[in-house]
Amino acid sequence: MIENEFNRRDFLKVLGWGGAAVAVSGCGFTSVQDGVENVVSYVEANEYMIPGIGVYFNSTCAQCDAACGITGKVREGRVLKLEGNAASSINRGRLCGLGQAGVQAHYNPDRVTEPRTGKGEKLDWEKALGQVKEKLTGVSGDEIAFLTGNLSGHLKVLLGNYMDALGSKNHFVYDAVAPAVMRASNKKAYGNEMPALRLDKAKVIVSFGADFLGSWVSPVNFSQQYAQFRKGVNNGGRGVLVQIEPKMTLTGANADRWIPANPGTEGVLALGLINALGAAGVSIPSDIAASVSAYGVERVSKDTGVSAEQIQKLAAVLKERSPSLVIAGGGAEGYAHGSQNAAAVALLNQVLGNVGKTVEAPSVVPFPQLAPTAGGTAGLKAFNDGLAAGKFKVVFTLGANPVYSAPAFMKLADNLKKAAFKVALADAIDETAAQADLVLPLDSAMESWGTVVAEYQAGDAHIGIQQPLMERLYDNTRSAGDILLSLVKQQKADDYKAFEDYYAYLRGAVVQAKGSLGGAGMDDDEFWSTVLSSGMVKTGNASSSLRTSASAVTLPAAAVADAAFPLRLLPYVQPSMRDGRHANLPWLQESPDPLTTIVWDSWVEMHPKTAAKLGIVEGDIVEVTSKSGSIKAQAYIFPGIHPDAVSVPFGNGHTELGRYAKGVGANVFQMLDPVFDQETGELAINETHVKVSKTGKRVIVVKEEGAAGGSQAGKKIAGRLASNNVDLSKEV
Amino acid sequence: MRHFLRLSILLIGLFSGSSSFAADTLPPVNTADDLGPQVDQPIEFPHNRHAKDMGINCMYCHTYARRAPVAGIPPLQKCMGCHNGIESVKDKPRIKELFKHWDEKKPIAWKKVHDLPDYVRFNHERHVKRFIVQQDKPVQEVCGYCHGDVKEGTVARRQKPLSMGWCVSCHEKAHPTDKTAQATAQGPNDCWQCHK
Repeated sequence: MIENEFNRRDFLKVLGWGGAAVAVSGCGFTSVQDGVENVVSYVEANEYMIPGIGVYFNSTCAQCDAACGITGKVREGRVLKLEGNAASSINRGRLCGLGQAGVQAHYNPDRVTEPRTGKGEKLDWEKALGQVKEKLTGVSGDEIAFLTGNLSGHLKVLLGNYMDALGSKNHFVYDAVAPAVMRASNKKAYGNEMPALRLDKAKVIVSFGADFLGSWVSPVNFSQQYAQFRKGVNNGGRGVLVQIEPKMTLTGANADRWIPANPGTEGVLALGLINALGAAGVSIPSDIAASVSAYGVERVSKDTGVSAEQIQKLAAVLKERSPSLVIAGGGAEGYAHGSQNAAAVALLNQVLGNVGKTVEAPSVVPFPQLAPTAGGTAGLKAFNDGLAAGKFKVVFTLGANPVYSAPAFMKLADNLKKAAFKVALADAIDETAAQADLVLPLDSAMESWGTVVAEYQAGDAHIGIQQPLMERLYDNTRSAGDILLSLVKQQKADDYKAFEDYYAYLRGAVVQAKGSLGGAGMDDDEFWSTVLSSGMVKTGNASSSLRTSASAVTLPAAAVADAAFPLRLLPYVQPSMRDGRHANLPWLQESPDPLTTIVWDSWVEMHPKTAAKLGIVEGDIVEVTSKSGSIKAQAYIFPGIHPDAVSVPFGNGHTELGRYAKGVGANVFQMLDPVFDQETGELAINETHVKVSKTGKRVIVVKEEGAAGGSQAGKKIAGRLASNNVDLSKEV
Repeated sequence: MRHFLRLSILLIGLFSGSSSFAADTLPPVNTADDLGPQVDQPIEFPHNRHAKDMGINCMYCHTYARRAPVAGIPPLQKCMGCHNGIESVKDKPRIKELFKHWDEKKPIAWKKVHDLPDYVRFNHERHVKRFIVQQDKPVQEVCGYCHGDVKEGTVARRQKPLSMGWCVSCHEKAHPTDKTAQATAQGPNDCWQCHK
């Protein structure tokens, strides 16, 4: 602690003089070094490698599932910086902060560098893979389970072949913050899980809790479409964005109007809008008109907390400005009736005639075997049920960290102990790898080969090629593909003996299909080098279509409030933290949250009125308690949230995952209540009810934002209201 | 305590500041060569043999100087290109060492003797273009501005101060803009030219 006798002003004075002294002496001889560092020349130099000049390689980003194309700058054999690949139709030359941090995932000092046992003993690869083989002998296929994150491309094919060889059907796909409910409801409404959204063609967008500029599905693509939508490039004038969500996201902050409807009533509002549109003269099929007749403006206003005037205005805007686009996102889906909410929003799209105009049939890669298998929390539940029943003896995990992100009520960490042998394929010791009996260290995305097919294909369908941007940093890491290939060779040596490594397998597979990949007439080497230099293969589109017929939606009655837990917890998917797998990247911890500007911590966001009622001020350490658990974090008072809700971001609160993640913030996954979407079985993440109490401690919230009132260097720069006098829902 | 601390830091700062300032005011271009310490290198490379006796152009080996910010140390391949065919010195210890590295495909870890701080961006290419291409000055003379009389030395050693004041002293002089022009211009003196 700095004592009072040494105050800030004195400190700055000393620093000033000291700094001046250093600056002056810096002009002398002291800073040129002789014989301290090495300069190592090449043995044989490539023609294109010039020291000091960057060389650029195309690859595919692996930081989230959007699969943006990237271009990496490599100098003296080290990757320095990533940019978007301009040829990719997904991100068209742009890249988000999460993608930029891919470099830091690669150079992270907490990466696992050698195969190791649960006790931390180092092994060589032969022994490590030998252990897997030994543990698999005498184990039936049903007793083996493989939990992965979303997979696509040849890795998925290889994993499928491995599971077939083992005779196991237990491949579970798990993504903690997936748009899984939306996939199911889209499939039902449009006949397609991921239709292409044309934000740029819409004259008005009404988004029910889809943070498409921040963290939803393919944010870099949507951000560019959004720019065109606002500029009026393809829609004849500046588009209007209305965001309906009880917790303001980055998209909500950019909207013309942010409407904090009561949490969970998004479906009611959508049906109410259909009813209002019908009353305003929009033609609606009679069965649908009958099904929404109960949703009169008065009732909808009462249920949603949105004023009747605002509902009428919204309906009028939707009627006048066609085509429009209505999107349902995580904010509307995380409920027990999430599927119905999403269905109601899809129905609104159909009634407005948007299907085929702003909701288009997507481009599809014509290789169904490479298409992504995308999961959600239903996959985790099935995996956990199997573990709890003691069905699995050998368990593999790859690209998933269930011990961290499974809610406490699942007791997954305990259930995992029932499996006799747990293998984690991991790049860092996360909570799941820490419990494993064998950790197989993965190459970073900058070191490994792979093919990726994006779940959300924008524009031309393509397969993203992931290629190493530099040599391995550590000799004893392997790519997931290489590990799987070695494992599958243990089972079916003859089938795979032609492939020395995963690179050979991948190259063989891509080159074999060159005829249908635009490489007809090229020789293999020529085609392969074209593929590598562009970082992707355009595949041409398989045909797909959307269903336009609509069917009625019924919504359940509103849930009764629980007096013991008066507030609703709305966990927040932060654009850079997502489900917490990147919490070990200091760049992301350091980059302020777009709304609260808080860094390196979790927070409990609450409305000024709610805070005043509870006597809480900014920085109070509060305890948020649900039926299933509790966390402690600093309070942040923010008018951009519904007064009956509090919000805590996902991603922090790790007990493992290295020096930058461990002990930072609180893990909100742990305290979620066991409520599931009734149709899809996905965990309903917005259904947790909580109470908030003060602990008596208070901290200074570390954030970029200045104090309310707007003064800089003693000068008033802008007249601002104190935050408790702002009503964002009434701002334009 | 506080005042004592402040005073002492102030004095130390001023002392070190003024002493290095004194060193900085030496007439820069005329500084004597061989300023840097002797540094042991894995192979004692005789620059005099190559640059003086053989008369090899500096940029034959340091080929990156004209197209990159750094001059680069030549790849082993470059050394072997000649030495493979020079029978007369093949059994000399230094050449044996060279062949050993080549056979093992093991790069040589040279010690840096011109290591500027990371906040300084010196660009070889710009200087080569200016003096050698535009003004048509002899290569050894131009390289010698900063590296001294390399053809008289053996193992590379820093010859000049390479301090900021020393760089600036040359940048403040007027140079002809090319070999025929009467017009002269100074080197750039903006901070950001080197401190980006």
